[in-house]
Amino acid sequence: MHLTHKLELFPDHRVTQMLFKEVKNAAELRQCAVEGKINGALINPTMLVDPFQVLVAVNKAVNLQKIGKMKTRSLYSEIIFNLSPTNNISEAFKRFGSSDGDDSVLVVLVHNKDESQLVSDITARVSGRQVPAEEVSSLTDHAKIKKLYKVTAQEEKCGTLLDAVVCRMAIKDVM
Amino acid sequence: MAQKESMAVPEFLSKAELVKQGAEARVYRAEFLGKPTIVKERFPKRYRHAVLDEKLTHRRTVQEVRSILRCRRAGISAPVVYFVDYTSHCIFLEEIVGSSTVRDHIASNQRSDSCKKPELERLADRVGQILAKMHDEDVIHGDLTTSNMLLRCGLEDGEFDLFLIDFGLSYISALPEDKGVDLYVLEKAFLSTHPNTEALFERLLKSYAAASSKSSAVIKKLDEVRLRGRKRSMVG
Ligand SMILES: Nc1ncnc2c1ncn2[C@@H]1O[C@H](COP(=O)(O)O)[C@@H](O)[C@H]1O
Repeated sequence: MHLTHKLELFPDHRVTQMLFKEVKNAAELRQCAVEGKINGALINPTMLVDPFQVLVAVNKAVNLQKIGKMKTRSLYSEIIFNLSPTNNISEAFKRFGSSDGDDSVLVVLVHNKDESQLVSDITARVSGRQVPAEEVSSLTDHAKIKKLYKVTAQEEKCGTLLDAVVCRMAIKDVM
Repeated sequence: MAQKESMAVPEFLSKAELVKQGAEARVYRAEFLGKPTIVKERFPKRYRHAVLDEKLTHRRTVQEVRSILRCRRAGISAPVVYFVDYTSHCIFLEEIVGSSTVRDHIASNQRSDSCKKPELERLADRVGQILAKMHDEDVIHGDLTTSNMLLRCGLEDGEFDLFLIDFGLSYISALPEDKGVDLYVLEKAFLSTHPNTEALFERLLKSYAAASSKSSAVIKKLDEVRLRGRKRSMVG
Protein backbone atom coordinates (compact mmCIF):
# COMPACT_ATOMS: atom_id res chain seq x y z
CA MET A 1 0.00 0.00 0.00
CA HIS A 2 2.74 2.45 0.92
CA LEU A 3 5.30 3.59 -1.64
CA THR A 4 9.00 3.70 -0.83
CA HIS A 5 11.61 5.33 -3.05
CA LYS A 6 15.33 5.77 -2.71
CA LEU A 7 16.73 9.23 -3.39
CA GLU A 8 19.47 8.79 -5.99
CA LEU A 9 21.32 11.90 -4.76
CA PHE A 10 21.15 10.80 -1.15
CA PRO A 11 21.44 7.01 -1.27
CA ASP A 12 21.08 6.61 2.50
CA HIS A 13 17.69 8.38 2.44
CA ARG A 14 14.41 6.73 1.64
CA VAL A 15 11.01 8.32 1.21
CA THR A 16 7.83 6.52 2.17
CA GLN A 17 4.35 7.77 1.22
CA MET A 18 1.18 6.48 2.89
CA LEU A 19 -2.31 7.56 1.87
CA PHE A 20 -5.40 7.39 4.08
CA LYS A 21 -9.04 8.06 3.24
CA GLU A 22 -12.05 8.41 5.57
CA VAL A 23 -9.77 9.84 8.23
CA LYS A 24 -11.55 10.59 11.52
CA ASN A 25 -8.72 12.04 13.61
CA ALA A 26 -6.94 14.60 11.44
CA ALA A 27 -6.79 17.13 14.30
CA GLU A 28 -5.25 14.61 16.65
CA LEU A 29 -2.69 13.57 14.03
CA ARG A 30 -1.65 17.15 13.47
CA GLN A 31 -1.23 17.60 17.22
CA CYS A 32 0.99 14.49 17.27
CA ALA A 33 3.13 15.95 14.50
CA VAL A 34 3.46 19.25 16.37
CA GLU A 35 4.53 17.40 19.51
CA GLY A 36 6.99 15.27 17.60
CA LYS A 37 5.15 12.01 18.22
CA ILE A 38 4.76 11.62 14.51
CA ASN A 39 7.98 12.10 12.63
CA GLY A 40 6.61 12.87 9.21
CA ALA A 41 4.92 15.42 7.00
CA LEU A 42 1.11 15.40 6.93
CA ILE A 43 -0.06 16.62 3.56
CA ASN A 44 -3.44 17.54 2.12
CA PRO A 45 -3.69 15.05 -0.77
CA THR A 46 -6.13 17.14 -2.79
CA MET A 47 -3.20 19.47 -3.54
CA LEU A 48 -1.11 16.66 -5.01
CA VAL A 49 -1.16 15.51 -8.61
CA ASP A 50 1.14 12.52 -8.27
CA PRO A 51 3.59 10.89 -5.81
CA PHE A 52 6.41 12.24 -7.99
CA GLN A 53 5.51 15.75 -6.84
CA VAL A 54 6.31 14.68 -3.28
CA LEU A 55 9.64 13.18 -4.32
CA VAL A 56 10.64 16.48 -5.94
CA ALA A 57 9.78 18.33 -2.71
CA VAL A 58 11.65 15.84 -0.51
CA ASN A 59 14.78 15.77 -2.67
CA LYS A 60 14.97 19.56 -2.58
CA ALA A 61 14.39 19.64 1.18
CA VAL A 62 17.11 17.08 1.92
CA ASN A 63 19.55 18.95 -0.33
CA LEU A 64 18.90 22.26 1.44
CA GLN A 65 19.17 20.57 4.82
CA LYS A 66 22.62 19.19 3.91
CA ILE A 67 23.94 22.62 2.92
CA GLY A 68 22.24 24.42 5.80
CA LYS A 69 19.90 26.50 3.66
CA MET A 70 16.42 25.40 4.66
CA LYS A 71 13.83 28.18 4.82
CA THR A 72 11.86 26.49 7.61
CA ARG A 73 12.73 24.82 10.89
CA SER A 74 12.52 21.13 10.07
CA LEU A 75 12.87 18.75 7.18
CA TYR A 76 9.16 17.96 7.31
CA SER A 77 8.03 21.57 7.24
CA GLU A 78 10.50 22.19 4.44
CA ILE A 79 8.86 19.43 2.39
CA ILE A 80 5.47 21.09 2.77
CA PHE A 81 6.96 24.51 1.96
CA ASN A 82 8.59 23.12 -1.21
CA LEU A 83 5.25 21.95 -2.58
CA SER A 84 4.00 25.50 -2.72
CA PRO A 85 4.58 27.71 -5.78
CA THR A 86 5.22 30.80 -3.61
CA ASN A 87 7.74 31.73 -0.94
CA ASN A 88 5.08 32.50 1.65
CA ILE A 89 5.57 29.97 4.44
CA SER A 90 2.27 30.33 6.28
CA GLU A 91 0.32 30.12 3.04
CA ALA A 92 2.20 26.94 2.13
CA PHE A 93 1.16 25.31 5.40
CA LYS A 94 -2.42 26.40 5.05
CA ARG A 95 -2.77 24.97 1.57
CA PHE A 96 -0.49 21.96 1.50
CA GLY A 97 -0.38 20.90 5.12
CA SER A 98 -3.10 18.76 6.63
CA SER A 99 -6.00 20.70 8.27
CA ASP A 100 -8.03 19.62 11.27
CA GLY A 101 -11.19 18.89 9.32
CA ASP A 102 -9.58 16.89 6.47
CA ASP A 103 -10.94 13.43 5.74
CA SER A 104 -7.86 12.29 3.82
CA VAL A 105 -4.16 12.61 4.51
CA LEU A 106 -0.87 11.70 2.85
CA VAL A 107 1.92 10.92 5.31
CA VAL A 108 5.50 11.36 4.11
CA LEU A 109 8.35 9.75 6.01
CA VAL A 110 12.07 10.21 5.37
CA HIS A 111 14.21 7.48 6.86
CA ASN A 112 17.43 5.57 6.36
CA LYS A 113 16.55 2.02 7.25
CA ASP A 114 13.76 -0.45 6.74
CA GLU A 115 10.41 1.32 6.94
CA SER A 116 8.25 -1.48 8.41
CA GLN A 117 8.34 -0.20 12.03
CA LEU A 118 7.66 3.41 10.97
CA VAL A 119 4.82 2.31 8.73
CA SER A 120 3.11 0.29 11.44
CA ASP A 121 3.50 3.21 13.90
CA ILE A 122 1.61 5.43 11.47
CA THR A 123 -1.13 2.93 10.67
CA ALA A 124 -1.64 2.49 14.41
CA ARG A 125 -2.20 6.22 14.90
CA VAL A 126 -4.43 6.97 11.93
CA SER A 127 -8.07 6.06 12.24
CA GLY A 128 -8.88 5.79 8.60
CA ARG A 129 -8.64 3.45 5.63
CA GLN A 130 -5.23 3.07 4.02
CA VAL A 131 -5.28 2.94 0.21
CA PRO A 132 -2.41 2.60 -2.29
CA ALA A 133 -0.38 5.82 -2.33
CA GLU A 134 -0.69 6.03 -6.13
CA GLU A 135 -4.40 6.69 -5.64
CA VAL A 136 -3.53 10.23 -4.61
CA SER A 137 -4.18 11.16 -8.24
CA SER A 138 -7.87 10.34 -7.80
CA LEU A 139 -8.17 12.92 -4.98
CA THR A 140 -6.51 15.79 -6.88
CA ASP A 141 -8.42 19.07 -6.99
CA HIS A 142 -7.38 20.04 -10.52
CA ALA A 143 -9.16 23.40 -10.61
CA LYS A 144 -7.62 24.56 -7.34
CA ILE A 145 -4.14 23.47 -8.37
CA LYS A 146 -4.35 25.20 -11.75
CA LYS A 147 -5.41 28.40 -10.05
CA LEU A 148 -2.81 28.31 -7.31
CA TYR A 149 0.12 27.45 -9.60
CA LYS A 150 -1.25 29.76 -12.34
CA VAL A 151 -1.12 27.04 -15.00
CA THR A 152 -2.12 28.38 -18.41
CA ALA A 153 -4.28 26.53 -20.94
CA GLN A 154 -1.50 26.79 -23.51
CA GLU A 155 0.91 25.17 -21.09
CA GLU A 156 -1.31 22.14 -20.74
CA LYS A 157 -1.05 21.63 -24.47
CA CYS A 158 2.69 21.07 -24.28
CA GLY A 159 2.77 19.03 -21.09
CA THR A 160 0.83 17.57 -18.20
CA LEU A 161 -0.41 19.32 -15.08
CA LEU A 162 2.28 17.44 -13.16
CA ASP A 163 4.96 18.90 -15.47
CA ALA A 164 3.64 22.41 -14.85
CA VAL A 165 3.55 21.93 -11.08
CA VAL A 166 6.99 20.34 -10.81
CA CYS A 167 8.63 23.06 -12.91
CA ARG A 168 7.30 25.79 -10.63
CA MET A 169 8.29 23.95 -7.47
CA ALA A 170 11.81 23.40 -8.76
CA ILE A 171 12.53 27.01 -9.61
CA LYS A 172 10.36 29.11 -7.34
CA ASP A 173 13.38 30.46 -5.41
CA VAL A 174 14.55 32.37 -8.49
CA MET A 175 11.18 33.61 -9.74
CA MET B 1 30.75 30.99 8.03
CA ALA B 2 32.03 29.18 4.98
CA GLN B 3 29.41 27.99 2.56
CA LYS B 4 28.68 24.34 3.08
CA GLU B 5 28.85 22.42 -0.12
CA SER B 6 27.12 19.15 -0.54
CA MET B 7 29.05 16.37 -2.21
CA ALA B 8 25.84 14.63 -3.16
CA VAL B 9 25.63 15.98 -6.72
CA PRO B 10 29.32 15.49 -7.65
CA GLU B 11 29.18 11.94 -6.31
CA PHE B 12 26.00 11.25 -8.23
CA LEU B 13 27.49 12.63 -11.45
CA SER B 14 30.65 10.56 -11.09
CA LYS B 15 28.47 7.52 -11.78
CA ALA B 16 26.32 9.12 -14.50
CA GLU B 17 26.82 8.76 -18.24
CA LEU B 18 28.60 11.75 -19.79
CA VAL B 19 26.76 12.74 -22.99
CA LYS B 20 28.62 15.87 -23.96
CA GLN B 21 31.65 17.78 -22.78
CA GLY B 22 31.24 21.40 -23.81
CA ALA B 23 33.29 24.52 -23.20
CA GLU B 24 31.00 25.80 -20.43
CA ALA B 25 29.09 22.75 -19.32
CA ARG B 26 28.96 19.00 -19.20
CA VAL B 27 25.76 17.13 -20.03
CA TYR B 28 25.00 13.81 -18.35
CA ARG B 29 22.30 11.22 -18.58
CA ALA B 30 21.05 9.49 -15.43
CA GLU B 31 17.99 8.25 -13.64
CA PHE B 32 16.69 10.75 -11.08
CA LEU B 33 13.63 10.27 -8.87
CA GLY B 34 12.92 7.27 -11.05
CA LYS B 35 12.83 9.22 -14.32
CA PRO B 36 15.23 9.45 -17.26
CA THR B 37 17.00 12.75 -16.67
CA ILE B 38 19.54 15.02 -18.33
CA VAL B 39 21.86 16.86 -15.95
CA LYS B 40 23.60 19.98 -17.14
CA GLU B 41 26.58 20.97 -15.04
CA ARG B 42 28.28 24.32 -15.49
CA PHE B 43 31.85 24.19 -14.30
CA PRO B 44 34.23 26.98 -13.26
CA LYS B 45 36.38 28.59 -15.91
CA ARG B 46 39.82 28.79 -14.40
CA TYR B 47 40.93 31.80 -16.41
CA ARG B 48 38.07 33.93 -15.08
CA HIS B 49 38.21 35.64 -11.73
CA ALA B 50 36.69 33.22 -9.21
CA VAL B 51 34.05 35.56 -7.74
CA LEU B 52 33.06 36.92 -11.12
CA ASP B 53 32.94 33.43 -12.55
CA GLU B 54 30.68 32.23 -9.76
CA LYS B 55 28.31 35.15 -10.35
CA LEU B 56 28.21 34.62 -14.10
CA THR B 57 27.68 30.89 -13.77
CA HIS B 58 24.89 31.42 -11.26
CA ARG B 59 23.23 33.96 -13.52
CA ARG B 60 23.30 31.62 -16.52
CA THR B 61 21.79 28.82 -14.47
CA VAL B 62 19.01 31.13 -13.30
CA GLN B 63 18.40 32.52 -16.79
CA GLU B 64 18.20 29.03 -18.20
CA VAL B 65 15.48 27.81 -15.84
CA ARG B 66 13.51 31.06 -16.01
CA SER B 67 13.42 30.97 -19.79
CA ILE B 68 12.32 27.33 -19.78
CA LEU B 69 9.35 28.17 -17.57
CA ARG B 70 8.51 31.25 -19.60
CA CYS B 71 8.46 29.19 -22.79
CA ARG B 72 6.43 26.38 -21.28
CA ARG B 73 3.85 28.87 -19.99
CA ALA B 74 3.42 30.10 -23.54
CA GLY B 75 2.92 26.57 -24.82
CA ILE B 76 6.40 26.12 -26.27
CA SER B 77 7.80 22.69 -25.51
CA ALA B 78 10.96 22.71 -23.40
CA PRO B 79 12.21 20.05 -20.95
CA VAL B 80 10.62 20.07 -17.48
CA VAL B 81 12.97 21.26 -14.73
CA TYR B 82 13.09 18.68 -11.93
CA PHE B 83 15.72 20.15 -9.65
CA VAL B 84 18.34 22.90 -9.53
CA ASP B 85 21.42 22.83 -7.32
CA TYR B 86 22.88 26.31 -7.10
CA THR B 87 26.03 25.20 -5.27
CA SER B 88 27.22 22.84 -8.00
CA HIS B 89 25.40 24.80 -10.76
CA CYS B 90 23.50 21.78 -11.97
CA ILE B 91 20.12 21.67 -13.64
CA PHE B 92 18.21 18.39 -13.67
CA LEU B 93 15.92 18.24 -16.71
CA GLU B 94 13.42 15.87 -18.20
CA GLU B 95 15.13 13.72 -20.83
CA ILE B 96 13.22 13.96 -24.09
CA VAL B 97 13.30 10.23 -24.63
CA GLY B 98 13.36 9.02 -28.21
CA SER B 99 14.17 12.42 -29.65
CA SER B 100 16.77 13.42 -32.21
CA THR B 101 18.16 16.85 -32.96
CA VAL B 102 16.76 18.86 -35.85
CA ARG B 103 20.34 18.89 -37.08
CA ASP B 104 20.49 15.10 -37.41
CA HIS B 105 17.03 15.04 -38.89
CA ILE B 106 17.87 17.50 -41.66
CA ALA B 107 21.22 15.83 -42.33
CA SER B 108 19.72 12.37 -42.73
CA ASN B 109 16.89 13.68 -44.93
CA GLN B 110 19.39 15.45 -47.13
CA ARG B 111 21.39 12.28 -47.50
CA SER B 112 18.36 10.35 -48.62
CA ASP B 113 16.52 11.52 -51.73
CA SER B 114 14.45 14.54 -52.64
CA CYS B 115 11.07 12.99 -51.86
CA LYS B 116 11.67 14.10 -48.26
CA LYS B 117 11.41 17.73 -49.32
CA PRO B 118 7.83 18.33 -48.16
CA GLU B 119 8.73 16.95 -44.76
CA LEU B 120 11.67 19.31 -44.41
CA GLU B 121 9.48 22.20 -45.47
CA ARG B 122 6.93 21.28 -42.87
CA LEU B 123 9.71 21.21 -40.29
CA ALA B 124 11.00 24.63 -41.36
CA ASP B 125 7.47 26.04 -41.05
CA ARG B 126 7.18 24.64 -37.59
CA VAL B 127 10.52 26.01 -36.42
CA GLY B 128 9.56 29.44 -37.75
CA GLN B 129 6.27 29.37 -35.87
CA ILE B 130 7.84 28.33 -32.59
CA LEU B 131 10.57 30.94 -32.77
CA ALA B 132 7.92 33.57 -33.51
CA LYS B 133 6.02 32.51 -30.43
CA MET B 134 9.19 32.57 -28.33
CA HIS B 135 10.07 36.07 -29.52
CA ASP B 136 6.52 37.25 -28.90
CA GLU B 137 7.17 36.24 -25.28
CA ASP B 138 10.35 38.37 -25.43
CA VAL B 139 12.58 35.36 -24.85
CA ILE B 140 15.86 35.66 -26.73
CA HIS B 141 17.44 32.22 -26.92
CA GLY B 142 20.99 33.45 -27.47
CA ASP B 143 22.33 30.28 -29.06
CA LEU B 144 19.91 29.10 -31.72
CA THR B 145 21.25 26.18 -33.71
CA THR B 146 19.62 23.09 -35.17
CA SER B 147 21.35 21.09 -32.38
CA ASN B 148 19.38 23.00 -29.78
CA MET B 149 16.06 21.82 -31.18
CA LEU B 150 14.84 18.30 -30.50
CA LEU B 151 12.26 16.40 -32.50
CA ARG B 152 10.11 13.67 -31.07
CA CYS B 153 7.63 11.84 -33.19
CA GLY B 154 4.15 11.76 -31.76
CA LEU B 155 2.87 8.30 -30.95
CA GLU B 156 -0.49 8.14 -32.71
CA ASP B 157 -0.74 10.64 -35.51
CA GLY B 158 2.80 10.78 -36.87
CA GLU B 159 2.85 14.44 -35.86
CA PHE B 160 6.05 15.58 -34.18
CA ASP B 161 6.83 17.64 -31.10
CA LEU B 162 9.55 20.24 -31.36
CA PHE B 163 11.45 21.06 -28.15
CA LEU B 164 13.78 23.98 -27.60
CA ILE B 165 16.77 23.28 -25.34
CA ASP B 166 19.90 24.93 -23.98
CA PHE B 167 18.71 28.32 -22.77
CA GLY B 168 22.01 29.03 -21.00
CA LEU B 169 22.63 32.22 -22.99
CA SER B 170 19.02 33.35 -23.04
CA TYR B 171 17.62 36.61 -21.75
CA ILE B 172 14.46 38.67 -21.84
CA SER B 173 14.21 41.54 -24.32
CA ALA B 174 11.51 43.17 -26.40
CA LEU B 175 13.97 44.85 -28.77
CA PRO B 176 13.63 43.92 -32.46
CA GLU B 177 17.43 44.20 -32.71
CA ASP B 178 17.93 41.40 -30.17
CA LYS B 179 15.40 39.20 -31.94
CA GLY B 180 17.01 39.95 -35.30
CA VAL B 181 20.43 38.95 -33.97
CA ASP B 182 18.90 35.78 -32.53
CA LEU B 183 17.69 34.86 -36.03
CA TYR B 184 21.00 35.88 -37.56
CA VAL B 185 22.85 33.49 -35.24
CA LEU B 186 20.51 30.73 -36.39
CA GLU B 187 20.92 31.62 -40.05
CA LYS B 188 24.71 31.45 -39.78
CA ALA B 189 24.58 28.11 -37.96
CA PHE B 190 21.88 26.70 -40.21
CA LEU B 191 23.55 27.49 -43.53
CA SER B 192 26.99 26.35 -42.40
CA THR B 193 25.70 23.09 -40.89
CA HIS B 194 23.36 22.25 -43.75
CA PRO B 195 24.74 23.01 -47.20
CA ASN B 196 22.33 24.19 -49.92
CA THR B 197 19.50 25.06 -47.59
CA GLU B 198 19.09 28.75 -48.45
CA ALA B 199 15.58 28.14 -49.76
CA LEU B 200 14.64 26.09 -46.73
CA PHE B 201 15.85 28.82 -44.38
CA GLU B 202 13.96 31.46 -46.36
CA ARG B 203 10.87 29.33 -45.85
CA LEU B 204 11.55 29.25 -42.10
CA LEU B 205 11.78 33.05 -42.03
CA LYS B 206 8.54 33.37 -44.03
CA SER B 207 6.78 31.19 -41.53
CA TYR B 208 8.26 33.25 -38.69
CA ALA B 209 7.07 36.45 -40.32
CA ALA B 210 3.58 35.11 -40.86
CA ALA B 211 3.26 33.85 -37.29
CA SER B 212 4.37 36.96 -35.42
CA SER B 213 2.60 40.28 -35.54
CA LYS B 214 5.82 42.05 -34.54
CA SER B 215 7.95 40.37 -37.18
CA SER B 216 8.43 43.17 -39.69
CA ALA B 217 10.67 45.21 -37.38
CA VAL B 218 12.61 42.04 -36.53
CA ILE B 219 13.18 41.05 -40.16
CA LYS B 220 14.26 44.61 -40.92
CA LYS B 221 16.85 44.36 -38.15
CA LEU B 222 17.93 40.96 -39.44
CA ASP B 223 18.62 42.52 -42.83
CA GLU B 224 20.67 45.27 -41.17
CA VAL B 225 22.67 42.77 -39.15
CA ARG B 226 23.35 40.70 -42.27
CA LEU B 227 24.63 43.79 -44.03
CA ARG B 228 26.89 44.66 -41.11
CA GLY B 229 28.20 41.10 -41.10
CA ARG B 230 28.98 41.27 -44.79
CA LYS B 231 30.70 44.65 -44.47
CA ARG B 232 32.81 43.32 -41.64
CA SER B 233 33.93 40.36 -43.70
CA MET B 234 34.78 42.65 -46.65
CA VAL B 235 36.98 44.80 -44.45
CA GLY B 236 38.48 41.57 -43.19
N1 LIG C 1 16.34 17.35 -22.34
C1 LIG C 1 17.03 16.61 -23.22
N2 LIG C 1 16.55 15.44 -23.68
C2 LIG C 1 17.25 14.69 -24.55
N3 LIG C 1 18.44 15.01 -25.01
C3 LIG C 1 18.99 16.15 -24.58
C4 LIG C 1 18.32 17.02 -23.67
N4 LIG C 1 19.11 18.08 -23.41
C5 LIG C 1 20.22 17.89 -24.14
N5 LIG C 1 20.17 16.73 -24.84
C6 LIG C 1 21.20 16.19 -25.73
O1 LIG C 1 22.47 16.63 -25.30
C7 LIG C 1 23.08 17.46 -26.28
C8 LIG C 1 23.78 18.64 -25.64
O2 LIG C 1 22.88 19.42 -24.89
P1 LIG C 1 23.03 21.00 -24.73
O3 LIG C 1 24.43 21.27 -24.25
O4 LIG C 1 21.98 21.43 -23.75
O5 LIG C 1 22.82 21.57 -26.11
C9 LIG C 1 21.95 17.86 -27.21
O6 LIG C 1 22.38 18.12 -28.50
C10 LIG C 1 21.02 16.68 -27.15
O7 LIG C 1 21.40 15.68 -28.04
